[in-house]
Amino acid sequence: MTRAMHRVLLIEDDPAISEVLSILFETSGFRVAAVDCCERAIRQAQSYRPDLCVVDLGLPDRDGLNFIMQVRTWSPVPIVVLTARANERDRLAAFDAGADDYVLKPFSGPEVLARVRAILRRITRADEPAAVVRLGAVTVDLANRRTHDLHAEETRLTPLEHRLLECLVRHAGRVVTHRQLMREVWGPHQADVRALRVCVGTLRRKLEREPAQPQYLLTEPGVGYRLETCGDSLRAPAAGIISNAG
Amino acid sequence: MRGDVSSVLIDAGVATQLVVVRAGERVPVLTSGTVDPQMPPQRDRAWSRYACALAVCCLGTALAWPLYGRVDAMNIAMIYVLGATLSGLRLGRGPAVVTAIGNVLALDYFFVPPRFSLDIADPQYLFTLVGTLAVALIISNLVVSVRRQTGAAVAREHRTATLYAMSRELAGAADAVAIADVAARHVGATLEAKAHVLLTDATGALHHDACTVGPVEVDLPLARQALASGQSVEASRSREASVYLPLVGGKAPNGVLVVHPSPGQQLVPEQLRLLETLAGQLALALERARLAELAAESRAAAERAALRNTLLASISHDLRAPLAAIASAGSLVAQSSHALSRHRRAVLGQLIEQKAHEMSALLSNVLELMRLESCAGLAASNWECVEELVGTAVKYNQHRLEGWRIITRIPAELPLLRVDAQLIVQLISNLLENCSKYTAAGTCITIEAAVRGDGLLLAVDDDGPGFGTREPETLFEKFTRGQPESHVSGVGLGLAICRAIARLHGGSICAMNRPEGGARFETFLPLAPGCTGDTRSLSA
Repeated sequence: MTRAMHRVLLIEDDPAISEVLSILFETSGFRVAAVDCCERAIRQAQSYRPDLCVVDLGLPDRDGLNFIMQVRTWSPVPIVVLTARANERDRLAAFDAGADDYVLKPFSGPEVLARVRAILRRITRADEPAAVVRLGAVTVDLANRRTHDLHAEETRLTPLEHRLLECLVRHAGRVVTHRQLMREVWGPHQADVRALRVCVGTLRRKLEREPAQPQYLLTEPGVGYRLETCGDSLRAPAAGIISNAG
Repeated sequence: MRGDVSSVLIDAGVATQLVVVRAGERVPVLTSGTVDPQMPPQRDRAWSRYACALAVCCLGTALAWPLYGRVDAMNIAMIYVLGATLSGLRLGRGPAVVTAIGNVLALDYFFVPPRFSLDIADPQYLFTLVGTLAVALIISNLVVSVRRQTGAAVAREHRTATLYAMSRELAGAADAVAIADVAARHVGATLEAKAHVLLTDATGALHHDACTVGPVEVDLPLARQALASGQSVEASRSREASVYLPLVGGKAPNGVLVVHPSPGQQLVPEQLRLLETLAGQLALALERARLAELAAESRAAAERAALRNTLLASISHDLRAPLAAIASAGSLVAQSSHALSRHRRAVLGQLIEQKAHEMSALLSNVLELMRLESCAGLAASNWECVEELVGTAVKYNQHRLEGWRIITRIPAELPLLRVDAQLIVQLISNLLENCSKYTAAGTCITIEAAVRGDGLLLAVDDDGPGFGTREPETLFEKFTRGQPESHVSGVGLGLAICRAIARLHGGSICAMNRPEGGARFETFLPLAPGCTGDTRSLSA
């Protein structure tokens, strides 16, 4: 990292995990401020002005959701949530409150770093929304509503598919919840998750080489979808594990 | 008895026929359902029957009139006896008596000398008249009682058929709600009324929400009263008279049967008796359902306890071994790091990490299985696309499956499944993990999906050694492993979890050897009703 060091605000009440994550971030070129409760976290978020927050949802004084909602009232700073696999509802609530991504416990160090870096990369690029997106062999020209494959042959997208893709591109790399997609693509009153499934399916057939093993239009089960544009899709690496008993 | 009373009344009213008709009007109303179950007691019906009785008198007289003088008065009496018999056959007791008396009066008036007078000249005609009257009354009485018995037999048969039909359907009903549905339909159809069954909850109390779903308006306090007293309660509000029958089984009250007759109708005693029989049958069926539920619950509890014991015994070893490794490696690094070379520190670090991974996987398996076995139904099910579920599972296991070739054959037109996405992803993940453990890298794993009957078949095939002579079914038992003592980590919960997940979705999973070699796992998941609808159109 040649540019100025990114500042990370780490909100985690388990001292072991907090310690390990701090070391992880510091050795990877970040500056870290670690706090262990919601109240201090909110004060720090105002004074420390972090570039990114990592929040554990279960905090001693208040719920991590509370922190997300409070911060969202004044700041668009990216927020990554630490959550246990079983708490699907919490995860959805976190996205609804304004979280940008999540990491499942038990998580591995490289996974956390990859998620954090992907988000930071996105916000530095977010100023100029890409008009042309490359998804492997397929090029999507959002402005002119055109999609070409490798042989420059045009693939026709229906208006719904186009709107869906556009919505995913706008949040590229980030999880977009089912509810959010349905609201932005179908409108606020026509929420049928079946239509969303079918539309994603047809879109995958047009964009992916192997629709059952997608490379770009990824599923976040129980939560939503994520469009991977950089090609360096996140893998669950076999290295490094950090977890707490809860 | 009542019939006799009415005949006495009518005897008393012989002088004026008008009085007879009026008195006769009330007879069916007083004795509704016992005089003639086939004929509902209605005013105009009674009227017309008595009018018919009188018409039979007139007809007999008209027939006999041309015969007067040619045949003896005795034979004319036969015509009148015939008329009284017919009247008894068709019109019931009251009108039959009217016909008999009217006939004798007509015989006396028109044909017994002196004609056109009720006087009797020859005493022998007195015998004729009394005999005719007696014969006519006896015959009509006999005919009426035969008719009544026939009617009762028909009603009995009807009741038996109703009971039989209902009990046959009740035997097939799966749970209390289905039983209540069947019973409400049968009772409603039999009595031409609206019927509804209110079910009590586990504590035997009636709740308001049990009353709001049915087709009839229910008075909850009355239902509770019926339940508390154990006796049927009749509520007459304005013109409707609804009946509340408690359904009491062996121990606890099971519910209340509410019957609303059609507007303007009332339940006659015959119908009430039938209703009580049906209610008894229904109470028995509900009791049976309740007991079956209790038995299933206790069986499940016993199974859970047994599982917990096996689990504790089995994981204690699998947890202690890696913990020992982690603790010793950790202390080495912490206490004597200066004495360790860079390489050795790295080795110890990797060991800690690997063992922690194993423990974490084991723990999440155990927790998952506990959770699956303890939950009764699906907590979070949604419409999911098979292709997506498979894709997610493959992605999750990418690091494990780096050396394998994965082929997916999933048709585009598969219907959506109503499932818990995370659980199905876990199921497929476990199968893939198994493949990675028991087959050599570089082989092929094929994932196929297709509609089979009313469900979806998801098959995972590999090119490995298969199961050999081993019974594949045993693999699904908890703590069973393909190779009991081996370096492959795990405690043998993966397939048990798969089976628990499949069962939770109302499906099944089985394993078999492929004829061309290798193992095949087939998961069958039922399709939810409505999923085969034209979902294609939604994407347009």
